[in-house]
Amino acid sequence: MKTKKDISESIRKVDSEEKISGRAPYTSDISVEGMLYAKTVRSPIARGVIKNVKLPDMPEGYYTVDASDIPSRNVVSMIYEDWPVFAEKEVNFIGEPIMLIVGPDKETVMNLADNVEIDYEEKNPVFDFSNSGVRLHFDKGDVVNAFERAAKTIEYEYETGYQEQAYIEPQGFVGYIEDGGYTLVGSIQCPYYVKNAVMDTMGEDEDKVRVIQAPVGGAFGGKEEFPSVTACQLAVALKKIQKPIKFIYEREEDMETTTKRHPSKTKMEAALDEHNNIIGMRSRIGLDGGAYIGLSGVVLSRGMLAVTNAYTIDNLDVHGDVFLTNTVPNGAFRGFGAPQMIFAIEMFIHHIAKDIGEDPYVFRKRHMVKQGDKTSTSGTFRDPIILDDMIQKAVEISNYHDKAKAYEDRDTYKGIGMSWFLHGCGFTGSGESDIIKANVKLRKDDEDNVHILVAAVDMGQGPKTTFRKLVADILDVPIEQVTFNYPDTRYVPDSGPTVASRTMMVVGGLLARAAKTLKEDWKEGEEQTVVKQYEQPDYVEWDQDTMRGDAYPAYSWGVNVVEVEVSKVTYEVTVTNAWSIYDLGKAIDERIVMGQADGGQAQGIAYGYLEVMNHENGKLKQKNMTDYIIPTSVDVPKMENHIMDNPYPLGPYGAKGVGELTLVGGAPAVALAIEQAIGRKVRKIPATPESIMELIDNG
Amino acid sequence: MKHVIPKTYKEALEHLSEGTYKVLAGGTDLMVKNRSWSETPARFKQDMLYIHNLDELRYVEDKGDHLAIGALTDYETLLRHEAVPKVLKDCLIEIAGPAIRKVGTLAGNIGNASPAADGVLLLYLLDAQLVIERKGARREALIDDVITGPGKTTLSNEEMIKEIRLPKSTFTKTQFLKVGGRKADAISKVAFAGAVRIEDGIVKDLRMAIGAVNVTVVRLREVEKLHTGETISAVQDSIVSIKNAYVPHIKPIDDQRSNRVYRKRVAFNMIEDFIMNMHIQD
Repeated sequence: MKTKKDISESIRKVDSEEKISGRAPYTSDISVEGMLYAKTVRSPIARGVIKNVKLPDMPEGYYTVDASDIPSRNVVSMIYEDWPVFAEKEVNFIGEPIMLIVGPDKETVMNLADNVEIDYEEKNPVFDFSNSGVRLHFDKGDVVNAFERAAKTIEYEYETGYQEQAYIEPQGFVGYIEDGGYTLVGSIQCPYYVKNAVMDTMGEDEDKVRVIQAPVGGAFGGKEEFPSVTACQLAVALKKIQKPIKFIYEREEDMETTTKRHPSKTKMEAALDEHNNIIGMRSRIGLDGGAYIGLSGVVLSRGMLAVTNAYTIDNLDVHGDVFLTNTVPNGAFRGFGAPQMIFAIEMFIHHIAKDIGEDPYVFRKRHMVKQGDKTSTSGTFRDPIILDDMIQKAVEISNYHDKAKAYEDRDTYKGIGMSWFLHGCGFTGSGESDIIKANVKLRKDDEDNVHILVAAVDMGQGPKTTFRKLVADILDVPIEQVTFNYPDTRYVPDSGPTVASRTMMVVGGLLARAAKTLKEDWKEGEEQTVVKQYEQPDYVEWDQDTMRGDAYPAYSWGVNVVEVEVSKVTYEVTVTNAWSIYDLGKAIDERIVMGQADGGQAQGIAYGYLEVMNHENGKLKQKNMTDYIIPTSVDVPKMENHIMDNPYPLGPYGAKGVGELTLVGGAPAVALAIEQAIGRKVRKIPATPESIMELIDNG
Repeated sequence: MKHVIPKTYKEALEHLSEGTYKVLAGGTDLMVKNRSWSETPARFKQDMLYIHNLDELRYVEDKGDHLAIGALTDYETLLRHEAVPKVLKDCLIEIAGPAIRKVGTLAGNIGNASPAADGVLLLYLLDAQLVIERKGARREALIDDVITGPGKTTLSNEEMIKEIRLPKSTFTKTQFLKVGGRKADAISKVAFAGAVRIEDGIVKDLRMAIGAVNVTVVRLREVEKLHTGETISAVQDSIVSIKNAYVPHIKPIDDQRSNRVYRKRVAFNMIEDFIMNMHIQD
């Protein structure tokens, strides 16, 4: 009898070779005969009304494409519909697309685009947090009463900056006409978001729009909703010109005009009883949405739900706003609102403890979530929570307590910080069952090869490998017998977007169910198809209007410890060590999870101290990889990461979410370490050398 | 617009005498400055002279009292050469990444004349003499007298840098401290280079150069001279007046990489740090 290997045991990633060798056909590698090139003409002002457009003399074979060419609706269909395909009468941010110039010679296209003259009537742009576009609220218990009986209240404000996804491959599509319909091949996370948006803008039926994922060179959320904008523009151009078109952003264009992580401001106020227990909390979070709402309301919602992180607070009042400003629209980015909130709450808990003179570690442990506790939205933490064991392990491997004590000596200019956190897996609330309704399909051909048909995208995080591994393992066949090609909406059902740490837990979960069914019913040499649709776990109850109930079917958990040294001469931070422990249920491939752990922490820690982006009157100041600083291998510390199994009954082999979890705790961990090193409270990230100098000077 | 690729150095000087060219060596600045849409040529605004293949300008020679560096010698070659001073290597290893260092040159760094250029900072520190030629004529000049402002030099259209000469000197301590946005591959927010020779407790040679705090590198030779010949403690006791002497010259700007308050503070911290620790061997 052969013994089966543990599913977590790593195998070689199936697409490593094509990517390392350079053979993977990324969008910019695609060439179609007779292909034209498209370039965007953009607004140079933050807010105004278009008065007049004067085109240069257009040579034959060159075209303009603008709002007047849109067959159906000038709006990009996403969760909230306010983002135009092309600006028509007014412009609302610097870089807003007004038209495309399309033609065969790139230099000519570029020169024509440079010579479009547009007159504007400028209006006063808005950059402050004054114009709310989305307002959400929920509460728990009786916060008024809690504050009335409070022995003490403590209040702080926290701020976070922009973060740019900085994927290696910029946004892009190649489009062509096929059987009278539109085929778009591109660097995307969500084939069906793109397809649905294009159908809506073009007023076309399902069979007229085909979307194919090309190999994706990184996304991090940046290719969640934004590609729908360029896809709609390209489809309009295809309809008008009827020739193949390549439409790829340049690096600076991409950084200046595509979605980023929302800057935020959060106010937190805690009510403490006479035993220094937090009995209530009021919180108000504001996100800078940029010029259009897009996904910002949903980002805000995930942020608000994380308001108490891994702590139980009985009485809550939580307000949130997405503020519209005349800046580039912000959107999805790994963590989706949670990194801002987890930074705020982790710092706040520490700051409360410091203010009341209690050891933050003890104070935090006393408020930590236990199985059976109520969530921020009055749902229930049903599954076992092993956070205590995880913290114990993190403390041991990092020697946390000894270091925390030693670094209280300010002259060391060293610090150690520990964050612990959760991340809800999958769409919020009833999103999976009400909005997404995921479908997956397994098809077995008459040679018994099994084809995975789902719309999930491998953007580096590994489903090309892990889905095949999962299905092969359940079917007990070699992995070579299972295929998973790049999703093409002509062949794959809508298994939902590749977002929200849902790919393995939700889509993988459905695939596991499909594979079990296929195995039970396996007929050698016969074609067979199995389809599975998402069913909400019966215990989940959620009321979207009051934001009450179980916001997520399951949670992943993490602990990050970060150690730093700050230079007395230059105030620069050196991150010397990082340790982490994760409960993601069960790893489907340990090495892939470890890759997520390394990358997620590098990105999360850098968010806390390194990555700076800001705008001046709506114009981003860091618009290329020279000025927007992300960590190099020299900046990334030694890392020691561990997984602790805690299988989730409804996940495949017990798997929960992993992708976002590894990022969300990085910023508070590094900020807390810096806080200790300099002996000042950090309330704003990134904690740059410039801001550290100010803190040392002014407190 | 003309694009000329001369076969010899002599031919390059001929072309320069006949037209107005921009000279491109490694292209690590010019290709970035004139970048264009991918798959289209760089958007150069004047006639171009590409000297990258003039191997006769690639050499490092020990001339006894000085080191002669041919204008096209790339950073990686300098990093591997045994006669190149340690403090220059400490700087070069922090410039960009290996690919850029393989084509970037000190002469190009001078021609580009960025106040934040780390290579130029070290040339100031090491009293670099430049050999500048045009057809039929040669001149030599101290680096300080060639660079006049951001992107500005005294090089005429007919001239190009042929060689960089580094006078030999002995130091008991050197320091290169670069503050970039991160630990590698970053443009300096502010940078410092210092060198000192102490014999029997007496400061015999003291040099400090500061980058990215003014339109050119700041090196105050008169302040250095004032304290040459003093004891270590006499120099260190004068730290306040030394710093005061730099006040009119440390005038940094706000930009996308940092701000003036920070740059100024760190510049003075670095001066103080160097002076107060100049007697402590690495």
